[in-house]
Amino acid sequence: MDTQAEIAAPKMSGGLDPSISRDVADAVRDTIYRATILLDSQEWNEWLDLCDESFSYDIKSWSPEINYDMTYLHASRKDMDALIRLLPKHNTDHSPLTRHTSVYTVDVSDNGETASAVSAFIVFQHLLDGTNSHIDSGESRLFLVGKYFDTFKMVGGRALFTSRIARLENRRLDKGSHWPI
Amino acid sequence: MPARNHKQWMAAPNLKDGEWIDSRVYTDQAIFDEELEKIFKSAWIPVCHESELPKAYDFRTTSIANEPVIVCRGPDNEVRAFLNVCPHRGMLIERRPSGSFYEGQPSGNPKRMTCMFHAWQFDMKGNCVYISREKEGYQDRLPKENVGLRRLRCEVKFGGFVWVNLNDNPVDLEEWAGKPFECLRKTLDAEPMEVFHYHKAIVNTNYKLWHDTNCEFYHDFMHYHNRVTGFNDAYFARKNESFEHGHIVVGTFEVNYDQYEGFESRAGLSFPHLPPNQWYMIDLFPGMNFNLRGSALRCDVVTPLGPDKVMIEFRGLGLKRDTPEERQTRINHHNSIWGPFGRNLHEDLIGVQGQGTTMRPGSESRRVLHGRQENQTIHDENGMRHYYAEWGKWMNRLPSDPEAPFTEPAAVAAE
Ligand code: FES
Ligand SMILES: [Fe+2]
Repeated sequence: MDTQAEIAAPKMSGGLDPSISRDVADAVRDTIYRATILLDSQEWNEWLDLCDESFSYDIKSWSPEINYDMTYLHASRKDMDALIRLLPKHNTDHSPLTRHTSVYTVDVSDNGETASAVSAFIVFQHLLDGTNSHIDSGESRLFLVGKYFDTFKMVGGRALFTSRIARLENRRLDKGSHWPI
Repeated sequence: MPARNHKQWMAAPNLKDGEWIDSRVYTDQAIFDEELEKIFKSAWIPVCHESELPKAYDFRTTSIANEPVIVCRGPDNEVRAFLNVCPHRGMLIERRPSGSFYEGQPSGNPKRMTCMFHAWQFDMKGNCVYISREKEGYQDRLPKENVGLRRLRCEVKFGGFVWVNLNDNPVDLEEWAGKPFECLRKTLDAEPMEVFHYHKAIVNTNYKLWHDTNCEFYHDFMHYHNRVTGFNDAYFARKNESFEHGHIVVGTFEVNYDQYEGFESRAGLSFPHLPPNQWYMIDLFPGMNFNLRGSALRCDVVTPLGPDKVMIEFRGLGLKRDTPEERQTRINHHNSIWGPFGRNLHEDLIGVQGQGTTMRPGSESRRVLHGRQENQTIHDENGMRHYYAEWGKWMNRLPSDPEAPFTEPAAVAAE
């Protein structure tokens, strides 16, 4: 798997005032952690408010079984908006998910207008109605492990997502999910 | 009828033989063990697709009925299958899910399958070609000619799928599945295909409940996507056709994908020789499914793990010649419905998991109804009736009373 392309990002350079660069990096971290909390609490529209109009969302995974870099989900901001709006029409496993995110690196571009970040995430599923609720509800299971590869654009001092690739390590996904990760 | 007492609940339903079954076929450990022996060890299983081992010396590993299997491509381009079991002391010869024997391994030479344990080596035809310190240990008593791998019946067919059978004398593959594949044969054999999606699910349910879901479309009520893109006169006229050996085919119609907000017509990327936005479904006994929605093919293969546990492998395929843009569009079409984060698959898996929750080893036996009669159209349950008549024959058990020997049910004989 070649994740280098996703990791490669504009590097901090001598051209940018270090304090501006630090502010941008702080804004990026703030947006990533806010996104984690909003996704956990299923405030989908508030999460989308952190995303620029140009936002694209992908869930990907490398398959050593078929030797292929797979795309499990690919969506524009408009697609995500429709997906979120139609969620109540679908039968879903309502077991809440919580994401544990750690921002590893933030790279700010030379002009301070864009940035990219790599974070690790673990998603736990807190069983509710997806299996046998009498026995299983209340149990927490490891659901997903992976990394976020995010890009941002600075707008009025805030960092807005322009893309997120959630790259999964686990590929035995059992029932899967209807929700953004 | 009002809610029933226990006696009423346990009474045989007011339906004909074959129009209902007893849930013990889903829950009984002895029946499960017997299914592996009698059915899975003699059925053709599409273990992978040829595009998963494109080059000479490529391999793929899998298992059927608890038997580890390896499939590899020889320098003659032939795909062959063997038990992935070392004839020396039973080590798993190859541990990786896929890869190539072109390069050497820590214990062995290039172009050989090498057992890492004591370094016995095999060629791509399954011949044992090297025993370490052979003469010193075996003198002339056990030559390597006598310790080849166990070869398995293997054919590449019906769109490039690799079919393996553990039985040395199975029904001929063409005779087994040729007729149900007839509706898509021109399409699947028009040009090479390629797998672009693979994932697996392990669900606490019986493997037949997964296959039942693929065989009946009445559950489209569960799928918002299918209701808005499908429910019209042409949909309700779709035929559910039975074929010999327990297979069924659900005929096609034109799906209105753009009726689901955010989705688009698939007409631009139809598979060869197909009108736009068609939807064919081929269900093969005992648990394989080929599902073609216009621009993408899905294939499900079940690996039963217990009466209440099944692994399902999901594959998605496009055309090998796809441009990167075409491929991405096909992937989106496939995964927006059928991926692990798609709209329908999650619902299907919750459905069979719910059945698995009420029908577990030790659960009281239940009557499971397969009695809808709608002139063998889409919401008729003839597909499941046909399947269980075949299951009864293989098992010599009556699906409505699995302790009794099989007799052809009246409802199915008439169809
Ligand atoms: S077990 Fe394979 S070489 Fe000994
Ligand atoms: Fe379904």
